Amino acid sequence: MHRELTVSVRIPGPLREYCAGASELTVTAPDVGAALAQLEREHPSLYRNICDETGAVRRHIAVFVNTSHLRDLGGLGTALVPGDVVTIFPAVSGG
Amino acid sequence: MSDRVILSIGTKKGLFVAEAAKRRRGFTLRGPFAPGVAVYSALIDTRGTPRLYASSCNAFFGMKVLRSTDLGKKFKETKSPPAFPKDDGRALANIWSLEPGPDKKDLWCGVEPAALFRSSDGGDSWALVPGISNHAHARKWQPGNGGLCMHTIYRADDRVHLGISTGGHYLSEDGGNTFSAANQGVGAGFTPDPYPEFGQCVHKITGHKDAPGRLYMQNHGGWAEWDGPGGRRPGIGVLRSDDHGHTWRSIAKGLPSDFGFPIVVHPHDADTVYVLPLEPMTRTCPGAAPAVWRSENGGGSWRRLARGLPKQSSYFTVQRDAMDIDELESPALYFGTTTGQLWIGRDGGEAFECLFDALPPIHCVKAAVV
Repeated sequence: MHRELTVSVRIPGPLREYCAGASELTVTAPDVGAALAQLEREHPSLYRNICDETGAVRRHIAVFVNTSHLRDLGGLGTALVPGDVVTIFPAVSGG
Repeated sequence: MSDRVILSIGTKKGLFVAEAAKRRRGFTLRGPFAPGVAVYSALIDTRGTPRLYASSCNAFFGMKVLRSTDLGKKFKETKSPPAFPKDDGRALANIWSLEPGPDKKDLWCGVEPAALFRSSDGGDSWALVPGISNHAHARKWQPGNGGLCMHTIYRADDRVHLGISTGGHYLSEDGGNTFSAANQGVGAGFTPDPYPEFGQCVHKITGHKDAPGRLYMQNHGGWAEWDGPGGRRPGIGVLRSDDHGHTWRSIAKGLPSDFGFPIVVHPHDADTVYVLPLEPMTRTCPGAAPAVWRSENGGGSWRRLARGLPKQSSYFTVQRDAMDIDELESPALYFGTTTGQLWIGRDGGEAFECLFDALPPIHCVKAAVV
């Protein structure tokens, strides 16, 4: 494992049933896309809740790296550095 | 011995299950399951031990298929929902129809964007049916107001009828391997050509096992006054086929509107068919006075059924899967409204009564005797 590439992924309450109740997962990935790909390998049903079949993050899901929204960074190619926290949020939407 | 009536009610805010003894005097309500999440399709599978299925259209986390093996006391997600292959480029937006397949654990599922999936393990895994999902027409279908959805799967032996909005009616005569557009006589109001090969906005298709080859269709009507290219298209909304869906003819004469969404056949009489006409522009009941219309001669004439229903000031829509009929000797009709009312029409629709009056907006209602 490349220790320097280890980041944590915070899982919101509604999705914890898809990863054995974990509120936080650790992944080893150089960017957000690779982090999600690791989730797909290790927790496929969790991944399906975050991304659709094309690999796109679902429309009403917000992914943050630390305090910045993925759309304001480099999308799935956003680089990660050791200690980064990737947070998955259900977006504020509905009716 | 069948002794209970079960209703599966999909709403904008989750799935409800209502249950009553055969006399249907008092229904108890359970739910919501998948609370807060829209449910557009449901199935009460009575093959063997009854199983209830429902789709759950989670705006945040995507589609789920829910399954209950205890008559809707609790539901669990199946192992996976249908999904397009990664390299397909399409992503599942909704699940519009769930129907039993030919074998005991077979399920068929129509989705948005319009495509068909099959499961051979009760919904735990799914395979795309390429004969229709990758049909040469598929990339030319256009979404209707509800999206580009495959909302109807009607099986009759080796024939499979699909309703797609807006794609039209597609027919397979080899068990679902290959499909052809079968829309002769099915009008479209929103294209210059009133009778295109495909692209009609079919709303619902049904049939009856005792009348092989006969089908009824609620199509997108409301084009009687159109004066643009192609001219008027009266009566294209309610149709019948007597040749397995190869050709269709209007049976709309006598209805106050040929626009509507659901169409239902009496369980014991293939000549008795029900529609719920709506005004085409508002999609609400004509004159704000809701009524079910019943034909007892296969669409030759129609009678208005409104006893017990509001006589005025009603502005709801009844969506394409929100009307069903149970299979008891004197069957009851059920319909759910976008204003959250669930109505029962006892004695085949002779007398209506509101069972629940404040549910969330209702997308689908399925009835079964178990």
